Amino acid sequence: MSTGWSFWVMFLVVLNLGITFFLYLWGPRAKIPTLPDGTSGHVWAHGTLREGVRPLPMWWIVLSGGMFVAGFVYLALFPGFGNFKGVLGWTSHGELANAVAANDAKRAPLVERFRLYPVEQLANDPAALQVGKVLFEDNCAACHQRSAKGNVVLGAPDLSDNDWLYGGSGNDITTSIHDGRSGVMPPWASLGADNVKNLAQYVLSLSGSPHDAARAAAGQPLFGTCAACHGADGKGNQALGAPNLTDHIWLHGGSVADIEKTIGEGRQGHMPAWSPRLSDDQIRVLAAYVYRQSHQADAGKP
Amino acid sequence: MSYKQFEAIEKHAGLLAIGIAIMVSLGGLAEITPLFVEAHSLKAPPNVHPYDPLRLAGKDVYVREGCYLCHSQMIRALRFETERYGHFSTAAESVYDRPFQWGSKRTGPDLARVGGKYSDDWQRKHLLDPRQVVPQSNMPAYPWLVGKKLDAADIQARMRTLRKLGDPYSDADIAGAPAAVEGKTEMDALIAYLQGLGIKNEPDAATASAGTGGTP
Repeated sequence: MSTGWSFWVMFLVVLNLGITFFLYLWGPRAKIPTLPDGTSGHVWAHGTLREGVRPLPMWWIVLSGGMFVAGFVYLALFPGFGNFKGVLGWTSHGELANAVAANDAKRAPLVERFRLYPVEQLANDPAALQVGKVLFEDNCAACHQRSAKGNVVLGAPDLSDNDWLYGGSGNDITTSIHDGRSGVMPPWASLGADNVKNLAQYVLSLSGSPHDAARAAAGQPLFGTCAACHGADGKGNQALGAPNLTDHIWLHGGSVADIEKTIGEGRQGHMPAWSPRLSDDQIRVLAAYVYRQSHQADAGKP
Repeated sequence: MSYKQFEAIEKHAGLLAIGIAIMVSLGGLAEITPLFVEAHSLKAPPNVHPYDPLRLAGKDVYVREGCYLCHSQMIRALRFETERYGHFSTAAESVYDRPFQWGSKRTGPDLARVGGKYSDDWQRKHLLDPRQVVPQSNMPAYPWLVGKKLDAADIQARMRTLRKLGDPYSDADIAGAPAAVEGKTEMDALIAYLQGLGIKNEPDAATASAGTGGTP
């Protein structure tokens, strides 16, 4: 605030306090003309209601005086009187910094402990899981659901099964969270609608799902292009994030229409990188929570 | 002051009203006027730029649809807010918001730094039908945004108006608007606006550039 505005605020504070303080001093001493019956002569409802004249009660005078004292003490301690910072030097940013520092100090032993273990072991630490659950629900659940079962509509993978697009080790999960992931399945509509249908049937045959054998046979020769990422056997490639096509887990849905859409239009699922939002310690705890979702059976093992 | 003058105030409603107005406005004169006048001297930090045409259109969709009725865009300087939403909001970040979208109503979460938190695809599906992605959500769906194409001339007019108000749009910026919004819908604009929230103007420059999360 510029000096001019600072003086403006000071002036208004003094003016306000001055007027109220004057009224406070004058009120109890004011000589109010009183009629012989002890009223002020103000009448309402044709004289049914009349205004009595009584001295101000002591409790009111004391309380009001206390308000002035409180006001002066406040203006002395805290910012409020123009640019005067107050004796305590209080600021909302300072208060935030203190709160963060106090919380960091409280959390420090826990964070130190979490750093000692690899993610896989951290997944058995109840405190880490508790923190991880909060982080998961706040940041991950929007796509992967609170149950961690994923969302086919988005192509957000189920994290509670043991099928991993980019690997399921603690390090792999940490990398996925830290850097994010982007699916890069190109559209193959250029092959022609009929070939896309044939390919879809062949893909269904890979997992032994019900399929049209004739179309699958026609689609098989076309799979060579797909094999570059999904492998000749269709078992996928975790280095590329290419899903395994031989199981019954479908990232974008396993109906004939879903698979035809996936092949025809491609899929570019996107998981944002979390390194700008979460600290490395938070990401490790989160990775431990995610790891735990697919390793429930290990509960209790060291 | 004798009791006579006091009685005059007491007996004339007009005088009483003027006296009350003076006393009540003292607080406002002290708290509001300095900020009101000094706001005009508030300069945008180097990493805060006027909205590009698509995001500008999205901002207007945001205001038109009343998103501010449920979502604030102001992270307060409180630990439990900064832990969840990121760095607290500053006045300089919203110099190009007319009107500002700070708000205090949070039926939904604060959106001041939501940019890049979710994928574009998530935002689209969420706006089309929030229950598709968040089963517990009580947010309304906004499917009509998909069918509304943006009008480039209209956006150029808005940019020219904002320039009159002091936003530093160049002639090239305004001339480039039709190309920037070519074929885009209000849905695209709103998503672009949401994905830009907070990440292009975070006070701490170190974290400012990384927030996009490689959004394609």
